[in-house]
Amino acid sequence: MKLVLSDRALDLTPSDRFRFVDLSKLKINNCIGCFGCWTKTPGKCVIRDDATNVYPLIAASDEVIYVSRVKYGGYDVIMKTMLERAIPIQQAFIRLVHGETHHVQRAVAPKRALIVGYGDISKEERELFLRLIARNAHNMNFASHRVLFASEEEAEALVKKEVSAWTNS
Amino acid sequence: MDKLLILNASPRAPKSNSKRYAQLFANACPAESVCRNVNKNNHAELIGAMEECSDLLFVFPLYADGIPVTLLRLLKDMEETPPQKKPVVSVLINCGFLEPAQNDVAIDMVRLFCAQNGYDFGSVLKIGSGEAILDTPFAAFARAKIKKLALCIAKGKKRTLKVSMPLPKKLFLRASRSYWENYGRKNGVTKEEMSTMRIEGE
Repeated sequence: MKLVLSDRALDLTPSDRFRFVDLSKLKINNCIGCFGCWTKTPGKCVIRDDATNVYPLIAASDEVIYVSRVKYGGYDVIMKTMLERAIPIQQAFIRLVHGETHHVQRAVAPKRALIVGYGDISKEERELFLRLIARNAHNMNFASHRVLFASEEEAEALVKKEVSAWTNS
Repeated sequence: MDKLLILNASPRAPKSNSKRYAQLFANACPAESVCRNVNKNNHAELIGAMEECSDLLFVFPLYADGIPVTLLRLLKDMEETPPQKKPVVSVLINCGFLEPAQNDVAIDMVRLFCAQNGYDFGSVLKIGSGEAILDTPFAAFARAKIKKLALCIAKGKKRTLKVSMPLPKKLFLRASRSYWENYGRKNGVTKEEMSTMRIEGE
């Protein structure tokens, strides 16, 4: 499965080749850090809102494009809220990945990930965002990843170009 | 340092490890301090409280490799409506992983916020194995570093400190497995159930 996860509306033509989730249209509450998805109802978040439909898509996808405004060198609120709510796809238990301790994944497909960070992004923010995505790669099962930056105006065209490469392949 | 505001930005602030770390810090701090939890609805009040403080300490856990949304939202409001008098910002961060360095990106997010918004950045304590360390014989190491952080902030020193359980990684893996199995057992959930590969039952 291919997935585009975005914090804003994008004019993407629906296709059976990929799923598109506009997080800005969904009701997703903050993670409350209860560890319920690890220790009470493993694999299921105790907050039954729209996030419970999204993290299974993240887990099942082997190609993803995440589209997020960049703030302080990280994801802005909408995307970060969803990624925090995606921890049911991991176990509480710890393993070694490249010699570092990280959580064990449940049935999470290894991913080719493209992260599109958009906005008015300084050099320092770009460098920090690149470091963040490198950390995500270990914790979110990215087999490979790329990061592209764009202005707010250019982001949609950039994503459409990447998606058309999917649909034409 | 005149007065310090400790802000617990954990998503589960009232029942968090960050609460325990904040309390240990407050006990060790030689200056007057006040501790508050961050929630969605009290940002204006907290920004008002910053006006009366020379120093601000954010206490929070690493969340999905960065700062938790709880803190991100507050920083954005601090950018939107800053306090007239900006305190020196320090950080006490913990993660459940063994390596304190896994906190570095989140720390640099706060550092970047400070650079962009005219706050002086102070000291840091980054804690590894922070989910469990306070309930182990290694708690004394954490308490000592928290005390050192408090003294650094009180004296206006800018230091980066770190602490973790002094365990080989393989031993840490076993210890953490035992910790989480016990956590599940208290909820009536077995280790096999916790190890399920199924997501939303699928």
